[in-house]
Amino acid sequence: MTINKVNTHIVPIEFEYHAPGSLDEAVGLLERYGEEAQILAGGTDLIPQMKQRKAEPKHVVNIKRIPGLACIEETPDGFRIGALAKLRAVELSPQIKEKIPLLSEAAQSIGSVQIRNLGTIGGNICNASPSADMATPLLVLDATVHIYGRDGAKTCSIAEFFQGGGDINLGRGEFVTGFTVPFPPVGAGSAFEKVGWTTFDIATVNVAAVVTLKGGKIDHCSIALGACSPAPVRGVLAEAALIGKEPSAEALEEAVEFIAACVEPRERWRRAPPEYRRRSSKALAMDALSRAIERARRFP
Amino acid sequence: MFASDMSLPNMLYGRVLKSAHSHARVKAMDVAGAEAMGAVTLTPDEVPDVVYCPRLVSIPEATYRDWRVLTDKPRYVGEPIGAVAAESEEEAQRALEAVEVEYEVLGASFDALDAMRPEAEAIHERIYLEDDLLDVESNVGCALDITEGDPKALEDADVVIERTYRTNRRYHNQLEPKSVLVRPEPDGGVSIWSTTQTIHNTRLLIHDIYGIPVGKIRVYKVALGGSFGSSIHVNPVVNIAVGLALKSGRPVKMSYTREEDIRDHCSYQMIFKLKLGANRDGKLAGGRLEAYLDIGAHQIQAYPLLGCVVGWWVSLYKLPYVEYTGKAVYTNKVPSCAFRGYGNPQITWVVETMMDELAGELGVDPLDFRLNNYIGEGDLFWGQGPSVKSIIRSCGVEEILTKGAEMVDWYNRPKAGAQTGRFRRGWGVGRGYHTSSAGAPVPSSIVDFGGAMLKMNEDGTFDYVSALMDHGCGTQDAHVKIVAEELCVPVEKVNIIKADTGTTIYDVCTHASRGVYSGGGAALKVAGKVKTQIREFAGRILDAYPHAVRIRYDEEGDRTVVYAEGIEGREVTYREVAETARHKNWGTVSALESYRQPSCPPHFTGYFIEVEVDTWTGKVKPLRVVAGADIGTVINPLLAAGQVHGGMAQGWSMSLLEDTPYDPETGDLVNGGSIANYKVPTSNDLLDLDDFTVFFADTYEPTGPFGAKGLGEGALNPVAGTVANAIQDALGVRFFELPITPIKVLEALREKEG
Repeated sequence: MTINKVNTHIVPIEFEYHAPGSLDEAVGLLERYGEEAQILAGGTDLIPQMKQRKAEPKHVVNIKRIPGLACIEETPDGFRIGALAKLRAVELSPQIKEKIPLLSEAAQSIGSVQIRNLGTIGGNICNASPSADMATPLLVLDATVHIYGRDGAKTCSIAEFFQGGGDINLGRGEFVTGFTVPFPPVGAGSAFEKVGWTTFDIATVNVAAVVTLKGGKIDHCSIALGACSPAPVRGVLAEAALIGKEPSAEALEEAVEFIAACVEPRERWRRAPPEYRRRSSKALAMDALSRAIERARRFP
Repeated sequence: MFASDMSLPNMLYGRVLKSAHSHARVKAMDVAGAEAMGAVTLTPDEVPDVVYCPRLVSIPEATYRDWRVLTDKPRYVGEPIGAVAAESEEEAQRALEAVEVEYEVLGASFDALDAMRPEAEAIHERIYLEDDLLDVESNVGCALDITEGDPKALEDADVVIERTYRTNRRYHNQLEPKSVLVRPEPDGGVSIWSTTQTIHNTRLLIHDIYGIPVGKIRVYKVALGGSFGSSIHVNPVVNIAVGLALKSGRPVKMSYTREEDIRDHCSYQMIFKLKLGANRDGKLAGGRLEAYLDIGAHQIQAYPLLGCVVGWWVSLYKLPYVEYTGKAVYTNKVPSCAFRGYGNPQITWVVETMMDELAGELGVDPLDFRLNNYIGEGDLFWGQGPSVKSIIRSCGVEEILTKGAEMVDWYNRPKAGAQTGRFRRGWGVGRGYHTSSAGAPVPSSIVDFGGAMLKMNEDGTFDYVSALMDHGCGTQDAHVKIVAEELCVPVEKVNIIKADTGTTIYDVCTHASRGVYSGGGAALKVAGKVKTQIREFAGRILDAYPHAVRIRYDEEGDRTVVYAEGIEGREVTYREVAETARHKNWGTVSALESYRQPSCPPHFTGYFIEVEVDTWTGKVKPLRVVAGADIGTVINPLLAAGQVHGGMAQGWSMSLLEDTPYDPETGDLVNGGSIANYKVPTSNDLLDLDDFTVFFADTYEPTGPFGAKGLGEGALNPVAGTVANAIQDALGVRFFELPITPIKVLEALREKEG
């Protein structure tokens, strides 16, 4: 009788709360409790899920006391962003705004300021929602996921990390500590686009794109689409259609025709029928590519 | 302090046990598990066997009754069938989950037209009207038919359009979910702090249900976190909490979660079949309206609403022939109640949509067509239904429409439907009105009077005491201004006193946009009486005639002075008047008065809205809004403009976003009760303030306090029609169902353009 259980106000279930102080301590807890444990990394997804009883963990492992997990650091390869970096911090970081504005733009599109002050980039990715707004920028930038487990640290590409249907590539006891987000190629223009029913809404479709121009032709193009497939996906056919072409309106129109073939919206997703997602993903791809090209053109 | 924020020592937290089925009989309920946890429980057989209507605004002859505090025959998913109370909300929730219920599941209907089919399961077999027990046929809870004029007028019309429309079922989404705190008192009474628009009707209903003497029930005014009509009736949670408090002998607090609140109240979904005829001379010939109101599982104010729907319809434009048949139909859904506009936004959307269509058929400009047919000054007005008739004494329709048209350069707007690109723009016009109160020169089926007390303090300031609730719209602020204006004092000299049912006289309810006009009328009446007494006492002190003394505010001395003009030394301050009255034992300058307005003047509104439609995503964006309102004298210009902004936001949301459809498989809301799946626009989704102009017509309502009328509902009513007309202008597509979602826009465009 879920009617008398589900709400977004009361957490009546009992659980044990853990706040490990080190990576190894966290791994120990996660290994010991396995499926019964859930990581708390901000709580904007987990806590409502517990109130709605979609998650009833016996153990909640809050990783906020582990040092260094909220970092935002510029390295020669790009930005190292800790799993616990607040979405608001990603949005406002002057270095990110300057070097990878796409991340800042995507972070800014999420929920409200209150949500972004609590929610983290690691939580946004590990909640594994097909509509996660940080996922498409990480995909187009070929980000690396840093994972920690019993055997220490390892990495995995973001494309391999999403396995579709809400699954992510983590073994027992493993958790995400952060991401390395490479700088876009020199002279790149980028853009993030999203359609929801309101500005506070989660995405019905979101799109991120990165483009560079060389000799008046598209040299590099990457585009990713969220909320229109079981996991965020790259629009590889559209990318291939554009590379080497002049960025004309006709070329763009031809390229976005391939978008429908890249996405697989599900019938059972109630927010919008597949046909709507197919059509609007094409529209948003056009918007994102056009804006990215326009920005790339500004590069001298 | 809101009811949701309050707490008392030794207080229990209550939770409601909700039906898991949309229609069922509760065969058995086992509360042993909950009680073993130490919780207090309440079952249907433990509440008084009283069938009531939670809204006490209409007279008994117009009030159908089909509610119980807790039912053993739930008629919608979420209907309260039991309750528990425990030491904390978490414990109460665990106790709630330990209650076991056995149901016999019955058939259910989720659409008004389906529910009327002969094979549909009866939702109510019998309901009460006064002492009569009435059989319910075809799930029709009540009905109203009205015909006026000669049918030939419509039959002979040059142009006739007939269409079917369906509105959405909107959740009020007020900030504060329904909440109550009840304290049982040693004398057998109860004290109540609750989310309500009417403390006196709350007291009366608790008296009716629990038989507690009226004077032992004290309902306190607490700030209300928004309502939009959802607490005109006494919310079910209040009646349940009283039962828990009486049983446990302890204070009980109950605050609905958002999921409970969304399954507690919503607007009336309406299905209309409208036929309107017009002649080549640009005049309307008549109309026929069939209205099916989906009222959900219980009646709150269905019968009065049937009267208002026809009233709203026939009071928009002059119709020589009117034929109306209205049916209020039970469905197995959340009970519908008033929602800002009380059916008016729904019917106005339909009429304003069809006015544009008719204008198109006649080849006249839609604005001119409206100007040629509207009901205005000197005309008979019965917006509040056939029992509430009065003559319009002030009207700004022409000013609103002509001035607005100038501001947007209406007659030079781009040609409709000429655009082919991705982004297409369109302009819409729409107008409407709402009544200010339900006053009338003769008694009607609606109670509409209020009252207030005003006394002069010993320092020459005033205490104002009224039962009238403020929803957060500044109603009390308006009263203070009215009192201060009448008494020539700055607003700071008038205190609003916290009050309850024991310290106030009756006020029906803050609804029907009556706060300023009707409530303010009572404020002006007591202020006038107090002023007369001040003149009397000052006259005695000054040895002057009371009717001859004058009153002025002396800004430098920050005092109000009563004086005999032109005669040196004959002046006395308010403070001196009050002091003298005390020292000489004349008594307190004070007044306590009930007041009934003789009329319910319409406040008129008109909108001009420009939209842009993205034909690739189906999203509609507002570009520019010009809104005019005739509210008589504007008491607080900023708050009044704020009402218009709020009306636009809510109307925009009604047009494009909101609905609460049901899943027939589960019988529950498709959105699962979550507001994460029930979207309303934020400020980011609306316009820049620079693109939103509000202006007020220069009018004066002779029956209103200082010439004022209401505004709250009229600010909303024309918006959906205007937005729909603007979308039609942009796309050349007309929609007959609300909301006009991006999904529907794309579907319609695909049908039209492939």
